[in-house]
Amino acid sequence: MYGGGGHYDGGGGGGGTTNANSLFGGGGFMPSQSTAVPESSGGGFSKGRNAQTLLPLTVKQIMDAAQASDDKSNFAINDVEVSTVRLVGRMLCKIERVTDVSFTLDDGTGKIDVNRWENESSDSKEMADVKRVTDFNDITHHFLHCIHVHLELTRSKAPMNASTSTPGNVNQVRLPNNQATTFSASGNTAGNDISSLVMSAFHDPAVINLEHGITVEYVIDRLKLPEQEVREVIKGHVEVGNIYNTIDDLHYKSALNG
Amino acid sequence: MDTSSPAALVNAQILNMFVGRRVRTVVQVQRNEGGFLVGQSTDGHQLTIKSSVDVPVSHFMEVYGIAENSQTIRAEVCTDFGPDFGEILCAYGVCLCPFYHSTVN
Repeated sequence: MYGGGGHYDGGGGGGGTTNANSLFGGGGFMPSQSTAVPESSGGGFSKGRNAQTLLPLTVKQIMDAAQASDDKSNFAINDVEVSTVRLVGRMLCKIERVTDVSFTLDDGTGKIDVNRWENESSDSKEMADVKRVTDFNDITHHFLHCIHVHLELTRSKAPMNASTSTPGNVNQVRLPNNQATTFSASGNTAGNDISSLVMSAFHDPAVINLEHGITVEYVIDRLKLPEQEVREVIKGHVEVGNIYNTIDDLHYKSALNG
Repeated sequence: MDTSSPAALVNAQILNMFVGRRVRTVVQVQRNEGGFLVGQSTDGHQLTIKSSVDVPVSHFMEVYGIAENSQTIRAEVCTDFGPDFGEILCAYGVCLCPFYHSTVN
């Protein structure tokens, strides 16, 4: 039931979604690199003006961050404290009351409940501003903006990692993988990357629902990585329970979709 | 919170990886054959969209729906993106054709 009429809406503060020129002008939406680097090496994320940063995000990014955080009212994405966010998606199930307006926003990556005038529910977002999308290029632009900001923020971590990993690994592309936190780290950057790649092969939409899973040979062929290393990584994942054997010793499946 | 049925952004080439699942794409309507629309996908192939929505020929249309096979989507929601979707991107000298459409009329 699409009570909201299926309109596209952009939520967030300060950003004009109707004027494409202003969006392309650069504006102040990109969090500066300095905001992405934690102020201390003791972990956690930096506070202060970061909380005012308007981050273009997808619903999935928010869901993943919210689930990873114990503190439901305060969480970080890419080590940047998230406060005001910008989402673009379809408005569903809009309910207008005297005291508040609530609806569900579906941006294709997931759905999230949005409230205006109340923030009592821990899993809902308080809406600062909402605009109807009139130029549909704004949808394309929003998701490109999400990709751009995400890459900027993840790349800016590289200098930080330099102190903890070998110099040769600093420039290595680190694929963002939400599953990376679910299995134990080997302490080696390159190892983690292969580990992430292997898991991402198991989580590929094309194979994740295969009843019998996939073979090691499939993963090797898919990733074009050395056979021995892939076999070792898969063995490690089996031992920690991230993947398991299905019909025989050759087929494996991720435990994610159990 | 529901992330159980994300709609994968697809073109015709990768549509067959998502048969039976929820997908999202943009097509340029080529003709209306009564009950279903035929549109050109972002990578230049023809896709059949089962939908009762009447979107004018040559308009770009976003489709949310279930992939029935590698060429057919059963639409749940169609949004008319108008006849000039994507043009501003080219106006700014940014070629994003692989993301959404192969040609701009």
